[in-house]
Amino acid sequence: MAEVVNAPRSAYLHIPFCHRRCFYCDFPVVPLGDKANGTSGTGSRSIKSYLGLLHREISLASDGPPLSTIYIGGGTPSLLSPGQIKSLLDHLRNQFGFQDGVEITMEIDPASFDQRQLEGYQLSGINRVSLGGQSFNDKVLEQIGRRHRNQDLLVACELLKDAFKKGNITSWSIDLIQNLPEQDLLTWENELINALATGAPHLSVYELSIEPGTVFEKKRIQGQLELPNDDLAIEIMRLTSSKLREAGFSRYEISNFALPGHASRHNRAYWSGVGWWGFGQGATSAPWGMRLARPRTRDGYRKWLENQEKYGLDSSLDVVNARPMAFDDQLIVGLRRREGIDLSVLASSWGWDINQRKTYLPSLKSRWKKAIKNGWLKHSGERFYLSDPYGMEISNQILVEILLWWESLPVDAVV
Amino acid sequence: MTDVPISSLRNFCIIAHIDHGKSTLADRLLQDTGTVSGRDMQDQFLDNMDLERERGITIKLQAARMNYTDSDGKSYVLNLIDTPGHVDFSYEVSRSLQACEGALLVVDASQGVEAQTLANVYLALENNLEIIPVLNKIDLPGSDPERIKQEIEAIIGLDTSKAIACSAKTGLGVPEILQAVIERIPSPKDSLDEPTKALIFDSYYDPYRGVIVYFRVISGRINIKDKVLLMASKKSYELDEIGVMSPDQSKVQELHAGEVGYLAASIKAVSDARVGDTITLLNSPATEPLPGYTEAKPMVFCGLFPTDADQYPDLREALEKLQLSDAALKYEPETSSAMGFGFRCGFLGLLHMEIVQERLEREYDLDLIVTAPSVIYQVNMIDGEVLMVDNPATLPDPQKRESIDEPYVRMEIYAPHDYNGTLMSLCQERRGEFIDMKYITTERVTLIYELPLAEVVTDFFDQMKSRTKGYASMEYHLIGYRRNDLVRLDVLINAERADPLTTIVHREKAYGVGKSLVEKLKELIPRQQFKIPLQASIGSRIIASESISAMRKDVLAKCYGGDISRKKKLLQKQAKGKKRMKAMGKVEVPQEAFMAVLKLNQ
Repeated sequence: MAEVVNAPRSAYLHIPFCHRRCFYCDFPVVPLGDKANGTSGTGSRSIKSYLGLLHREISLASDGPPLSTIYIGGGTPSLLSPGQIKSLLDHLRNQFGFQDGVEITMEIDPASFDQRQLEGYQLSGINRVSLGGQSFNDKVLEQIGRRHRNQDLLVACELLKDAFKKGNITSWSIDLIQNLPEQDLLTWENELINALATGAPHLSVYELSIEPGTVFEKKRIQGQLELPNDDLAIEIMRLTSSKLREAGFSRYEISNFALPGHASRHNRAYWSGVGWWGFGQGATSAPWGMRLARPRTRDGYRKWLENQEKYGLDSSLDVVNARPMAFDDQLIVGLRRREGIDLSVLASSWGWDINQRKTYLPSLKSRWKKAIKNGWLKHSGERFYLSDPYGMEISNQILVEILLWWESLPVDAVV
Repeated sequence: MTDVPISSLRNFCIIAHIDHGKSTLADRLLQDTGTVSGRDMQDQFLDNMDLERERGITIKLQAARMNYTDSDGKSYVLNLIDTPGHVDFSYEVSRSLQACEGALLVVDASQGVEAQTLANVYLALENNLEIIPVLNKIDLPGSDPERIKQEIEAIIGLDTSKAIACSAKTGLGVPEILQAVIERIPSPKDSLDEPTKALIFDSYYDPYRGVIVYFRVISGRINIKDKVLLMASKKSYELDEIGVMSPDQSKVQELHAGEVGYLAASIKAVSDARVGDTITLLNSPATEPLPGYTEAKPMVFCGLFPTDADQYPDLREALEKLQLSDAALKYEPETSSAMGFGFRCGFLGLLHMEIVQERLEREYDLDLIVTAPSVIYQVNMIDGEVLMVDNPATLPDPQKRESIDEPYVRMEIYAPHDYNGTLMSLCQERRGEFIDMKYITTERVTLIYELPLAEVVTDFFDQMKSRTKGYASMEYHLIGYRRNDLVRLDVLINAERADPLTTIVHREKAYGVGKSLVEKLKELIPRQQFKIPLQASIGSRIIASESISAMRKDVLAKCYGGDISRKKKLLQKQAKGKKRMKAMGKVEVPQEAFMAVLKLNQ
């Protein structure tokens, strides 16, 4: 295998099953009902048949270096039994091998697992858990269509904290959603206090975004969704930033906060421009630099897989087509990170010579002049990064300039 | 084709309100006479422009020749001259009517007579046309032909005892209509031996053959070998082609008095062969042209600016090309410190303006900023000079002017009487002067007002429609200029005067308009990276102010592997929107904001 700088050392597995669909969710998921699990009862046959497809897809993958991070996301992967998880991880290990210290994250939902199940997952190889907490407030949980309640979340956190303390897992995280309907500074501060009290060393804090086709979108169209206005939203976001900083967390990406040593290595891969594998219905892969999104429906995914088996792999999955991630994309995702991007380094690895760098880069910087003057975009030398919180709050303004700049460049510079 | 005896010719048009089924009936006539086979039939065959078909309205006239054999086996040639159904084009309607001996008055059997119909019927009566009332859509459950007949008798005074009930949709009554055209509409006058005169009732520009002229021969003949003279433009041409529309163009050698046809003569622009001009023969010209010719006068003006300054030459070229096919379109270069280079354009009315704007964007792929429509003001200066001002931003300072006169129209609104109150308050709000109110039937009323045209070219029509659930219709014509206490209302965005938002208003309304204008702009201009003050002023006096607070939040909540492509699309959309905005000073202003003054009531 030829040496590829950005070769995939990360893999994402998509498990598209949920008990139910939450009101904000537009992911490719199949709701199975509140009582479902992977081994018996409602939906278990569907899960088994899906896992069959997933294993087939993994078998198809071409060679790649040993994996350094794996992420099992969804959906609700905790609908799968520890045995099912183990068999997926074994398959990946046989296919690619694992590096020492491999980070293996699994998303689990409160009220979908108990201590025994958690131990089962650990024995299967899971060493990091991302808990879909979203909120510690029963009223909020009901409003957003979640199945669990505060008590379930607290129990789940205790189990994870305990597992972490015992060294059974190396890290764990809670997801929270800010700027939900009716949220105000006080209720949000309580959410943060509750989250910090659990001792979780990593928090992902997302701002609610209303996606097409979701219950929330419908409600908004009917005028039944009262979201915090921009001014309140910004106060809420700033509270997140300051409160978590005080607690010792580093905002290593716009919506991710971690205590030292707990940043998710898998997430960082997405923002650094390296390749990653993606397997499963609706999953996106970019092992050798080209992105490929799989069909979001089961039938579509099955047919796609059959075609791969019959006619050979999609060209994006073949190392022969390895290429770096597009320069503009690298800037867009790279700027989400605390450390930002080094323009000069990226431009060189994109293949621009000194003259091209001298010709093209200044026009981007001049488009950023306002943002730099306002203190939103900081730089030291050629390294540019968003300020926290001001720059991160309006990052799109800076990213849009990248796109306009990219569009203005001559064709030979951008391919 | 010239062997058609004059006695076998019938020339007629259809007068109808929008939606009353004119185009459907025309299609049906073409089909029943075998002119167009059912297979070739697209809905609304005569409405050629995409825009017309999309909106279901007829803007552009088309004509068609049909062969018809009656029950006695006698053959006829029928020429249908379609007419536009919009107030902007009443001059064109009058020319089409002049080319006919009769008209089908098509009235929706449930809705009754509407204002525009009535205006056109009166025009037809003035031209001595034989009018055949047709009650359409009698297949619909709500239809009430008897009531509508009474209404026609009461309003227009037409005898409706021989009115024909029909459904253009199902074909019911269509044979009766054809028979009535033969029996009741007179054949053209036999004037074969008189000097040649032909009336131009339409023309369009064909990039390969030059202008195609549609005309009706009123007297004499036109042969393909003739040289013709256009009496108003005083230009003469050798003919490349003459022919008839059946409805596709087919060439003939000669057309004689009474016939309707087209000609091509490598004419360069529609302005050389205007609607209403008279065609005669160069070698034996008529002494007098046909009556009624006038040049189209623009009534509504606006600025057109390319969003991207680089597109200015493209815009100029597009306007040049459009003018070849649209004699009513006027334009001249306009430069504004706020907007850069663009054009001040004149139109017959709002619909005409919209059509031109859409054609520029669709056919020429231009991104345009269109400023709010204005009328042409007569400004009497202190030094005695009189200026005609079609751009509010160029209105001279108050110290230099004595007075301002503005154009007025006489407006007739037809509506069910339930809406009297709301319509009268609308007219009052728009500085209307009440002239008369007439009950046409026990249910329906005509309101007559005199209004400043400037108040009509904003959102008057939309307001009238929304206040009456669509039941009201209107018609107006210019009646002259009147002096009023008018002031120039400026808008300042970020402390800089925004020329394209300048408007001329009555002093008493200035405060209210200024206030709602800045409020509307606050809604329409997106937050930017800094606070933007918005002000309305008369001279140096600020009468209203608002501000747009600085944008504080614009961020993608999350972005992992699978999201990257989707999130990038969102950013690309945002970038595209940014490109479509016009930078005024430091502020980026979206297209809609320039029309803010039209949206004050929404």
